[in-house]
Amino acid sequence: MKILKTMMKEEWRVHANLFGGAMFAFFPLLIGIGTFAASLFLPYLRTIIPDRQMLLLAHYLFILLGVGIGAFGLFGREVMNRRFGQASLIAYSSRTLPVSERTIFLNFIIKDVIYYLFLWIIPIIVGFVLATPFVSISTISAIYACGTLVISFLVGLSLVFFLSTLYAHSSKILAALLVSIIIAVLVLIRYYAVDITMLLPSYSMFYQPSLLKILLLISLILFPSAISLIFLKVDYPEKKRQYENNLGSLSDRLKFSAHSYYVAKDFLDMKRSEGGLGKIIFSFLLPVAFTWVFLYIFFEKIPTINIIMIFAIFLGIVSSSMYNMLTEFDTFNSYMFLPVSVSTVIKSKITSYMLINIISLIILLLVAMGTNQLFYFIPALCSLVTISVYALSMTIYFTGLHPTILLYNAKTFSQYVLSIAPVLFIFTIVSIINPIILLASPILLFPSLYVVKQSYKKWDNWQPLSF
Amino acid sequence: MVLEINNLTKKFGDLVAVNNISISIAEGELFGLLGPNGSGKTTMIKMLTGQIKPTEGTINVLGLDVLKNPVKVRELVGIIPEQESPPSFLTAEEYLEFVGKIRNIENIKEKCDRWFHLLDFEDQRNILCRNLSRGTRQKLMVAQAFLHEPKLAFIDEPLINLDPIVQRTIKDFIQDYIKKGNTIFFCTHILEIAEEICTQIGIIDKGKLLHLGPIQELKDKKQHLEDFFIKLVKEER
Repeated sequence: MKILKTMMKEEWRVHANLFGGAMFAFFPLLIGIGTFAASLFLPYLRTIIPDRQMLLLAHYLFILLGVGIGAFGLFGREVMNRRFGQASLIAYSSRTLPVSERTIFLNFIIKDVIYYLFLWIIPIIVGFVLATPFVSISTISAIYACGTLVISFLVGLSLVFFLSTLYAHSSKILAALLVSIIIAVLVLIRYYAVDITMLLPSYSMFYQPSLLKILLLISLILFPSAISLIFLKVDYPEKKRQYENNLGSLSDRLKFSAHSYYVAKDFLDMKRSEGGLGKIIFSFLLPVAFTWVFLYIFFEKIPTINIIMIFAIFLGIVSSSMYNMLTEFDTFNSYMFLPVSVSTVIKSKITSYMLINIISLIILLLVAMGTNQLFYFIPALCSLVTISVYALSMTIYFTGLHPTILLYNAKTFSQYVLSIAPVLFIFTIVSIINPIILLASPILLFPSLYVVKQSYKKWDNWQPLSF
Repeated sequence: MVLEINNLTKKFGDLVAVNNISISIAEGELFGLLGPNGSGKTTMIKMLTGQIKPTEGTINVLGLDVLKNPVKVRELVGIIPEQESPPSFLTAEEYLEFVGKIRNIENIKEKCDRWFHLLDFEDQRNILCRNLSRGTRQKLMVAQAFLHEPKLAFIDEPLINLDPIVQRTIKDFIQDYIKKGNTIFFCTHILEIAEEICTQIGIIDKGKLLHLGPIQELKDKKQHLEDFFIKLVKEER
């Protein structure tokens, strides 16, 4: 209990130290207000989308939130590590204090659950419940729905803990398990006509509650976390391990870029860091897969909506999070004493970002082929590239080389959301009216590039507030 | 003069970290900026190398205005930062190669080999920086600062975490380097080292420059730097 309390204090102080306690404390309030405002649009949405599908979407989103937050919690340790040094974090104190890694990890999981419940989930629930009297939804049903949504969040969180432990033991076993699950789900849907929605027990619990489902849900939350804890693998630094010098050869292959050696460094960072490829799986491929599944379920029965176009817009936004990952490996402190400006590092991150996003392009192509919508591939590609570059430009402008930290600043977060949301809304509406119009969307690349140029000036002139 | 500082001031909110300091350093000097912990030494180095902007004052390094040309200044000089912080996931050798590419250094392989040999850490060259000991990381910081053979180097506590043998090697290197006509701006609170190798000293406390002059003056008066330093700082406080 003492460790848990101290970890909670530590988490608070880490964030409060970065951008002030008030700005961090304001973040949940902002989420609550945002949810309240968004909930007021529900009556309009209900005229287009059936309640059942809307609730299903919400459950998938909460699982996704659990997965995302869990992944950030696990891999985010690296970020905090570089910012504050290993010795200062309790998560590393098993090396200096008589506490086992297992105890530390258990407390770490509980701390994450409590912390992010207060930071994200409770504000969303409160915002939604407070809006119910204005949108003709029974408050009791809303609270019940919130309960099943919280369960979805916890299932997502537990799932990612389990997958990360599995990954720490063997990436091959993880890949095999994920592929098996996908195949099993596809087989169940295609050959046994199983309703995919019922594969989500927290959602089916809302409509058909039963004791069996409650037990199933409890085990879905506890079992993966327990397995993860029992088979916890601790990675101590491999002092003896020698690595071949790959920087030169890799930067030679990337010579087309003016920043080839920075880009080569980014790729070596990704390959050699904690999680390595797992980072791409957890922070990109998994959210993309979830996005596709819920879009497929959500919009399948609405012929006016072109799924591939909506998917391209979502993919653009999710892909922009790859920039966050690229900035997690180093801080500018490693460059400050060299003849390097902040803008040079940002430029190199943009190049790395573009290269990694070939994955997005391949995903979009595969989806277009798989759904026989190749006709819309080009406008979808235009949307993907434009949204991705636009979101990237805003991320860079508002957060520079510190997106994972500064986006928890309430002011920066609201500026970021307000700059992105209208564009997403317009793209979504246009894609419904006539997707072909989005062939013209690359026009938005010009203001995006202008914003990026302004960002260079802004961050080159940025000065630390304290020493 | 290779370095001219005029009325330099740095404020962080209400805190005055550096208070109206003026110093000129000629070519071939080994200038030691001495001061207790938190006296403003590192803030000085960061301003002199364009890493942070001063609140007031001007800085001229090797004929360049640092405020206008911070990157160009860092291109010309070498810097050992206060905290050793090479990127985590490059090996020691890759890191020096990376610095070499940033600085457009020719024959980088040979130069790296020379430093690995001089500081005796050849067996660590293929190990990731995150897994190196603090001492080895400090060796790496020393190597990167002098890899391009700069005419002027800013070194902040360069001997920290190093064993006595490597400390001796670096002190010898620094003295040879000065004999070749190069200049060093050296920050430390270890007075014995300053007394041993510096030609000029400045004593700073709470951002104020309390003393400036050749070390020989003290030696001529048969006064120990440590006694002089403690007396000066205590009087001022």
